[in-house]
Amino acid sequence: MGRVVRLPLARQAGAAGDALARTAASIGSSVTRLTEEPGGVVDDWGRDPDLARLMVALTHLRWSVAVGGDQQLPRRKGALICINARPFAQSTVLAAFAVSDATDRPVRYVGRPDNGPVGAFAQRLGALLADPDEIAGALAAGELVVMSASATNGGRDVGAVDHSLIGAAVAARTSVFPTAVVSRPMTRTARVEIGAPSRLRNKRRGPLAELELADRVRTDIGRLLDELGDIGTGTPLDWLPFGVPGGN
Amino acid sequence: MSGRRVFVSGVGGELGTLVATMLEAEDWVGDLAGIDADPPRRRLVRTDYHRIHPDDHDHIVSTIVDFDPHVLVHVGVWEPNARAAPRQAALLTDLAATSVIGAAAECPSLEHIVVRSGIEIYGRGPGALTRPTESAPTRPTCEWGRTVAEIERTAEQVGARVGVTVGALRLAPVIGPHVPSPLGRLLRLPAVPFSALTDPPFAVIEDADAARAIVAAARTGLDQPVNVVASGAITALQASRRGNRVPVPMSGPPWAVARAASYLLGAPIPDHVVETLQRGRLANNAAMRPLLGVVPDATTRSVIDRLYRWPTVIRQPAREPAA
Repeated sequence: MGRVVRLPLARQAGAAGDALARTAASIGSSVTRLTEEPGGVVDDWGRDPDLARLMVALTHLRWSVAVGGDQQLPRRKGALICINARPFAQSTVLAAFAVSDATDRPVRYVGRPDNGPVGAFAQRLGALLADPDEIAGALAAGELVVMSASATNGGRDVGAVDHSLIGAAVAARTSVFPTAVVSRPMTRTARVEIGAPSRLRNKRRGPLAELELADRVRTDIGRLLDELGDIGTGTPLDWLPFGVPGGN
Repeated sequence: MSGRRVFVSGVGGELGTLVATMLEAEDWVGDLAGIDADPPRRRLVRTDYHRIHPDDHDHIVSTIVDFDPHVLVHVGVWEPNARAAPRQAALLTDLAATSVIGAAAECPSLEHIVVRSGIEIYGRGPGALTRPTESAPTRPTCEWGRTVAEIERTAEQVGARVGVTVGALRLAPVIGPHVPSPLGRLLRLPAVPFSALTDPPFAVIEDADAARAIVAAARTGLDQPVNVVASGAITALQASRRGNRVPVPMSGPPWAVARAASYLLGAPIPDHVVETLQRGRLANNAAMRPLLGVVPDATTRSVIDRLYRWPTVIRQPAREPAA
């Protein structure tokens, strides 16, 4: 994990991204590093570093993920990473682990149930409730948070992006990074490509900001997916005119 | 702003005594007085202590009105099963809050009220935020949470009526060597129950850090609620392992058995502690530095480690029987 791949869209905003990273590096006092996290306790949000490390190691057995564009993420400040999703693919977990591995920072992901052992287990892995206040709190605390657009089945389609969750980033004054996740259920190869932060053409003072930013993020993820193309399986399945469920 | 008169209710408790000790060292504090049903736990040099029971309403009112404080620090609250049974604790807290805050409202010099509250005020119902900020809605789901919500409401109403600022310190469970804490007592038992299905995280605050925050709130004139929570979190299973205790997994009805057994062992488990062990309890402490200018020295992990390092009580039999 962690190989850097520079794509045209990323190069286009590379200078802006680097400037953002430099600015972010000067903000905040300290950032938790995966390699420095103490064992035997959980962090402020209930994430268990020991369990998270184990799950990342297990993920390596199944997936070989190449992460691109992670140098654009702020080094200290919080950021919202919005990805595309496929039904049952658990793309948010995959992307959170991959970005965490690439950036050496704990990465949260959105979408845990609030009850039972499944919710508790997800919390130990760094999951947050899909609540704008919860996400805004994490972003304001300088955390990297992964959320997904609604799941779609068709090829490079991107589902709707929840504008209320994007509003959390607007409220916390953090950037939203469109990110494409491409994987196939029958191969180990997967790609996580982080684009330049989405920006609005017009400044908005009211709730239109989050609505328009959500649309913009959706468009940017679609462009990233177009740039990435498809990951081939190397089998006759690639000849089929539709994507294999769970893949791009 | 030197020479301010400060009145501390609950000065006899460990937290109140710590607050009074720290206030005595503040140069802006002039006269200092306090009341409680029990004497202070340490020797106070400058503080005038009045031993008054919470139900002695007239005595409380006359004492406070005569003192005419500029700042009222109300830490006279009884956590359930800390020093009193839950019903008695709620009654004493209500009596003290009504009498003390009501009396302060009659003081012409009063400028500022600081009240002790708790992060239990946010509640842990379905959909409750994992780490609520001060702006999160307050929906208490336990008796202690409802009690502190009532204290905040009373103080806010009085503040609005008489035109003084009110600051509420929402403390995480306070743990310290001499603080009567039901959570601390439970964690020090030889066997510690934990939720087998969830084992959620919780955060605590050390008594000295809580006292520093209260003093800072009095000094800065805090006019809003603020969470006072140590950084980091821990689960009951992790805490029991750090203390070399035997972790006992619990789920469903056995919790009632655990509560009964713990009660017999001298560490009753009130409902807010059960809620902490089953649903967790965290809060965002990011506002402490900008609002109070202080941050906790001890992390949750170090507070728990110190909890297990305190020596146990050694009971010495009387050399001569009393009767």
